Amino acid sequence: MTHLTYVDYLVIISYLAVTMAIGLWVGSYVRSGSDFFLAGRSLPWWAIGMSLVATDIGGTDLVGIAGDSYRYGMVMGNFEWIGCVPAMLVAAFVFIPHLWRCQVTTIPEYLERRFSVQLRASVASVWLVLMACNLGVMLLASAKFMSDLAGWEMSLSILGVALLVGVYTWSGGLGAVVYTDVLQGVIMIGGCLMIVVVGISDLGGLEPFIDKVHAAAHERGNRVVSTSPDSSLPMKTANERFTSAESDTFSLVLPVDSTSPGPWPAILFGLAIIVSPGYWIGNQCIVQRSLGAKSEYDAKAAYVYGALLKGLIPFLVVIPGLIALVKFPQLTTEQAGGALPLLVGRLLPEGFRGVFVAAFLAALMSSVDSYLNSATTIYVNDFYRRFYRPHADEGQMLLIGRWTTIGFVLWAVYFAFQMMAYQQNIYSLFQTLMSFVVGPTLGVLLAGMLSSRTASEGALSGFFAGLATAAGLLTLNLSTVGLWLNMPPLFRVEAPYLYYSIWAFLVTISVTVVLSYFARPDSPEKTRYCIWEWRVAGVTK
Amino acid sequence: MTVLHWIGDSIRSQLLLVPLSVARWLFLGLLLVIMAWVVQLAPAQTTPRGRSFAWYEDLKIWAWLALLFQVVVYSIF
Repeated sequence: MTHLTYVDYLVIISYLAVTMAIGLWVGSYVRSGSDFFLAGRSLPWWAIGMSLVATDIGGTDLVGIAGDSYRYGMVMGNFEWIGCVPAMLVAAFVFIPHLWRCQVTTIPEYLERRFSVQLRASVASVWLVLMACNLGVMLLASAKFMSDLAGWEMSLSILGVALLVGVYTWSGGLGAVVYTDVLQGVIMIGGCLMIVVVGISDLGGLEPFIDKVHAAAHERGNRVVSTSPDSSLPMKTANERFTSAESDTFSLVLPVDSTSPGPWPAILFGLAIIVSPGYWIGNQCIVQRSLGAKSEYDAKAAYVYGALLKGLIPFLVVIPGLIALVKFPQLTTEQAGGALPLLVGRLLPEGFRGVFVAAFLAALMSSVDSYLNSATTIYVNDFYRRFYRPHADEGQMLLIGRWTTIGFVLWAVYFAFQMMAYQQNIYSLFQTLMSFVVGPTLGVLLAGMLSSRTASEGALSGFFAGLATAAGLLTLNLSTVGLWLNMPPLFRVEAPYLYYSIWAFLVTISVTVVLSYFARPDSPEKTRYCIWEWRVAGVTK
Repeated sequence: MTVLHWIGDSIRSQLLLVPLSVARWLFLGLLLVIMAWVVQLAPAQTTPRGRSFAWYEDLKIWAWLALLFQVVVYSIF
């Protein structure tokens, strides 16, 4: 733990003041529900693109990826490279323009137009629960970071961030979220770049840094082998393990028997082909800002710009973990999650720590505000207006949107306090939650967008079958359940969330296809929302 | 052991037979396929509609650049 000085606090307060000013300034232009939820469909590509990146890299990612990089190495960069760029580009030219042309506000709304209200309500419910829980997880991540770094009281951190984000999101809705994200993205990238540059300089430059990482990985591999009592896994010989520890540190492609979250089949089939497209096409929190783009071209350009920025991100979020590995090679697996706060406290001088804390808060706030606004959007559009007040006017939508924002802030604070006692790696926890929903959501979206033969009943059954698969696999993989049933865990990697997604997606698609084959085809009113039918019919001009 | 363990072990043993160099080429292959797909996109899909535009407004160029960077990264690491 270190102490922040007055200079550090000055930097942090300046950042928070500017963020708040931008949020409230944008909020002064909000007059209707459409302004609040989609920024009046006026957003330019450069703001959306930076917002996409800032939202995707949350405080949980900064701390979690650095901690996991400390343990597993460069492989965590996959989550930003092949785990984002290909899906973003396919989404940019195929799926996002289609959703934008359909003029929907939420993904569940699209699913009702293409399939049924039952599927809309089901998908909206599941995402709402996920987003609401994730809000609490992110607030907790910030509190843990600030506690590790500066000894701040965790409860105060949770309340402070919730209040700040809540006020400007309440005021400005999506517009405030996106424009504050631009500032937050710049500060986040700058702050992370600073720690990378200072850290590598401190280690003597790039080549010494690489050599020292290899040496530290070797030493850590030694220690893991000598202290690991785990005999359930097919252990390599000690020499193999040492060599692996050194060579794997900078490798993005790890073998099948790697215990990291990123063996190559999980990265390629789980992350690149399922989780990433599901995230960039089916996550309301991400897609919503593109739905608020001022033109179809802006919606596409935002994703392409975001993909370009994504190329740089792993250097900024993974390298700090490797620097920490060299500086503090003795951290245990449990302590590795705190590698980044430790590095910031020990490495950065006065003033610079404030910049990094601002960067962390920027990363955190850019994600919390997005999830807050999207959870509100789903609740108000997919439940309140759909089932309770179908004829609510724009003024009522704005009012209920703002009250719902307050409700979610209060819930997030409550959930964060409840989660305080939970010690699992917060990044893995978030990924596990996501894996439950992303695969099934992608399955029904792809089936609906790409095939007019997919039937509503098939999609609904497929969605629930996918969810049940993910939940079932998680349950059977729990050590307590394994002991009770007297069987070994299903998966051998430590955090198999990517594998949950693969199986959930495959089951969703299989059930959807098989049941659609036997079900009555949907009416042309529904199938016109399929991408190909839409183009053939020339619905758009 | 359950049938799920048996399925998992079977897939795992097959994947273990795939050399790491082949796995790396699968990563690169995915990127190269998308690069080829981006190149063949029609101009109407990658440029602004209804107005004249400068060369740098063609999204195909930037998408290709983003993918090229990925190919370089996965070739090195």
